[in-house]
Amino acid sequence: MNNIEKYAHVFCNIFEIKHEQLLDLKYQDILAWDSVGHMAMIASIEEVFDVMMETDDIVDFSSYEKGMRILTERYNVQF
Amino acid sequence: MSSSKLLHGKQALITGASKGIGAQMVKSFAEAGANIIACTRSPSDLMQKRMEDLSNVYGVEIQVLCFDLLDEYAIKQAMRVLYSNKTRVDILINNAGIMTTSLLGMTSLESFKSTFQINFFSAVQITQSISKLMMKQGHGVIINLGSIAGLDNFAGYAAYGSSKAALIQFTRILANELAPYGIRSNAIAPALVETDMAEKMGPKAAEGIFARSATKRITRPEEIANAAVFLASEKSSFINGQTIRIDGGM
Repeated sequence: MNNIEKYAHVFCNIFEIKHEQLLDLKYQDILAWDSVGHMAMIASIEEVFDVMMETDDIVDFSSYEKGMRILTERYNVQF
Repeated sequence: MSSSKLLHGKQALITGASKGIGAQMVKSFAEAGANIIACTRSPSDLMQKRMEDLSNVYGVEIQVLCFDLLDEYAIKQAMRVLYSNKTRVDILINNAGIMTTSLLGMTSLESFKSTFQINFFSAVQITQSISKLMMKQGHGVIINLGSIAGLDNFAGYAAYGSSKAALIQFTRILANELAPYGIRSNAIAPALVETDMAEKMGPKAAEGIFARSATKRITRPEEIANAAVFLASEKSSFINGQTIRIDGGM
């Protein structure tokens, strides 16, 4: 899997959603992406990309797209 | 497995591990079969030797990790080491603390801030990182060292007592937030414990506490560590969000 596939897989796996739902997905758009789901997703992202995210970035991680930007700009994860 | 090896194969991170209650925790947890990450401010040959001795006696691994709890950046770097080494942490014990005693009018704001940094904010920062590791594992136990000063209203404990009260309430909230990830959080609230810290308080302060105690004696460090071993073990699997007073009856 390349990085974008890994990233998408985390979302699909944690939130139990289909790939087609990902692109415009935002925090609290779906029931599963509540604050508890958010922390589970972050834990999984950290595991998959081997990073330790700052609290400010966890708070800013407000959408599928924003998450990619944060990972690229702050943690050098290339998509 | 014998009942004394309640924590066999578990890994515990203990802050303030060089002396007092923390040093006893390291011993008791090693005795219970846990591998340990013993955190302290600065490295010393004496502590390294003590850890090696305990490791040999109990057949567990003990790693010393040094960082200053007054330094937010140093804490972050220490947590990064754990992350990059993919360290498993089954048990977190936020034990490190400082005692400050003075009446409100004689306690500087700086003293309040440094007391809160060590007794509360450092524990928050460490817990933020370690709880994420625990979430990935799907299990974990957090034990915070409160104090009866965080529950009762002793004069002269505005800074210390308030910082411990914050830590106790933090524990209760963690218990609620982290339970869905299989993480239990509890606090221990000791009375005066036989440590350097207690000695520094002087006999007058101790007498005041003994006068209120049914057992009229100081708490031994192992009495705190024994409770921590129990709370860290599966024997307490349904205890969550509690603060256990260890005060001999007050």
